[in-house]
Amino acid sequence: MTDDGRPLARRIASFREWVEEWLHGLYHGMVEHPSFEKIEKEAEDVEDTFLFACFADAFGIPSPVSYYTVELLPYLAEEFEAWERRMWDRGSWLERKGQQYHVH
Amino acid sequence: MEKFVFFGGKGGVGKTTVSCAYALKCAEAGLDTLVVSTDPAHSTADVFDQAFDDDPSAVDGHEGLWAMEVDPDEEVERHMGEIRQRMNEQVSAAIVNEIDRQIELAHRTPGAYEAALFDRFVRVMRDEASSDASDSASGEGRPASSEARPEGAPRNERAVDAASGDYDRVVFDTSPTGGTLRLLALPEFLEGWIERLVAKRTKSVDLFEKAAVGGREARRKLDEDPLIAHLQGRKERFEFAGRTLREESAFFLVVNPDELSIRETERAVAEMAEQDLGVEGLVVNRVTPAPDDDERGRGATWLRDRVATERERIDEIRSEFDEPVVAEIESRVREVKGDLLAAVADDLAVDVDAASVEA
Repeated sequence: MTDDGRPLARRIASFREWVEEWLHGLYHGMVEHPSFEKIEKEAEDVEDTFLFACFADAFGIPSPVSYYTVELLPYLAEEFEAWERRMWDRGSWLERKGQQYHVH
Repeated sequence: MEKFVFFGGKGGVGKTTVSCAYALKCAEAGLDTLVVSTDPAHSTADVFDQAFDDDPSAVDGHEGLWAMEVDPDEEVERHMGEIRQRMNEQVSAAIVNEIDRQIELAHRTPGAYEAALFDRFVRVMRDEASSDASDSASGEGRPASSEARPEGAPRNERAVDAASGDYDRVVFDTSPTGGTLRLLALPEFLEGWIERLVAKRTKSVDLFEKAAVGGREARRKLDEDPLIAHLQGRKERFEFAGRTLREESAFFLVVNPDELSIRETERAVAEMAEQDLGVEGLVVNRVTPAPDDDERGRGATWLRDRVATERERIDEIRSEFDEPVVAEIESRVREVKGDLLAAVADDLAVDVDAASVEA
């Protein structure tokens, strides 16, 4: 049941796997994660503007195209709901912006 | 002559009479003709003494003539129902309830009426007039064409033809100038708008793809984004509308021999030129008939004066407009319907061009 019973090669291989996983984790934490998070937030922001362009009338700004853009709702119902909540709640909206621009 | 013929003009100048007369003339020349009334205050029913609805139905007593009255309210309801149904298929009930307000709102805005009318317009141009009507965009089905066509309707074998959307000519009796002009200006405006939306969406989806590093699944993907596909479909439809209006449509303005009507027509011509839509000609309607020379009563004097003033106006129309006057139609004592309509049709020197009849 101990490692001693295993051939050396197996032990080295498993150690290397362990190191690789850790290195990848480290890389992910330091490089990948912050960047994908940042890009994803940027993507979410662009999506917010998109939603605003589509549904400005939800905030009392008359939009001549809302009749057409409402056709998109079946595809983005969940985003729309979340977006509307975000937009009405200015506190959380500011917080979100703050999060995005804090230095990693 | 183009496949789609529009009659426009100030309110009350007699657009309906002129367009119905023209449609009758086309039908009598052997063209399968559909009259489409887009004026919210429909009066085609009064001209033909027959009720019409949102689907084309044959006009009694006239071969090869169909009529329909577009109902934007019905279109708005249909549109809303369609979206709700798709929502129910794709999204959980809780979310649907949250969003229902937005759907309701979008269908109650002032622009909705216009958009619905425009949609219906495009659908008529696309489905009623081309046999290869494809319905790629937004999956809206063409409503079942009217079963209301009477059994023994004349030219029944062709009626089947027409039901599949093969009219030779579609005559639009439009709403008064302002509304129609805005409607005709829509395609270009909407195309631009949708282009910007697609660009925005493409950018965000692209960023989502980029954010998916390290083998993560992207939250959205460009080539399977239903939004972009839907918007593209819409855009194609607007392009189709713009193209059809510019290339396959003829516009006539109906004008009365009076100052107000002439001024409004001038503005309409200028605005349409801005939209790149040429006005084919002017129809002068409600011209007062002159009394005979030996008539001397007070009525005759009044009439003579009136005719003289109108003559001036008509001369003004002829000299001031580049567009030719294609007809001068005299006022009738009775409402124009029945036989009178045929008489008015004879007054119309608008080209019918029977050469385009197939077979």
